[in-house]
Amino acid sequence: MSLVHYVVISAVFFLLGVFTMVARRNAIYVLMGAELIFNAAALNFVAFARFRGGDLSGQMFSVFIIILAAAEAAVALGIVLQLFHHVPSIDITKPQTLSD
Amino acid sequence: MFWFFAGCAVSGALLMAILPRLVQSAFSLALALFGIAGLYWTLGADFLGGVQLLVYVGGINILFLYGIMLTPKETVRWRAATLIFPGFLCVVPIAVLLHLCWRGLEAATGGGLDPATLPAPAATTETLGHWFLDRRRYLVPFEFASVVLLMALVGSVYLARRRKES
Repeated sequence: MSLVHYVVISAVFFLLGVFTMVARRNAIYVLMGAELIFNAAALNFVAFARFRGGDLSGQMFSVFIIILAAAEAAVALGIVLQLFHHVPSIDITKPQTLSD
Repeated sequence: MFWFFAGCAVSGALLMAILPRLVQSAFSLALALFGIAGLYWTLGADFLGGVQLLVYVGGINILFLYGIMLTPKETVRWRAATLIFPGFLCVVPIAVLLHLCWRGLEAATGGGLDPATLPAPAATTETLGHWFLDRRRYLVPFEFASVVLLMALVGSVYLARRRKES
């Protein structure tokens, strides 16, 4: 398989992630769209590193992307749960203030 | 093998984007992430595929399921009005990107793109482990990443706990 196949899959992932983040109003969907975008970027790193001669630096960058995605998911879900206790809805257009 | 994993990834991502129920989307996301792990394996990144499977499919997806269980259930009805702007936002960049892919990618990057000329993939875990702990390579980012993870976990526990006074 050539590089173009992987880049096309990565583009599809990125755009479905953007679509999910824009079209949905549920906060958890927005986080899932962000995960798709992270995966698109990581797949691009690995694919380009592989087809540029097997350099492992791309894989290192992808490992760091996965680490940061895990941290992001944990913090963001904590924020969403706290927001849900505060405003009884996870529609991201509902909360208008940060305090009472 | 590539087409199997690519089909898993693309169909999972597509189902995640369009399915109306949040739980269905979470399981489709697991399928998409599994497909990405398989694509890493086809690229010779065996360690990274394992990490993807452990952290994403085993960790982040379970976290999403917990988040779904702790929040109310809702079903989305797709209407034309809610689809036009996001769809437009996605169709235009995908057209531009695919156009650029087919037209300029192989010409721009020159040689090294033919899979037949690539070196056969070797086991990467040992090299990656050495690189993580080599101070001339990735030791400092590695330690920073562990500090960031620790801060994120402590911070998320602080954020997600129930406050007594409210």
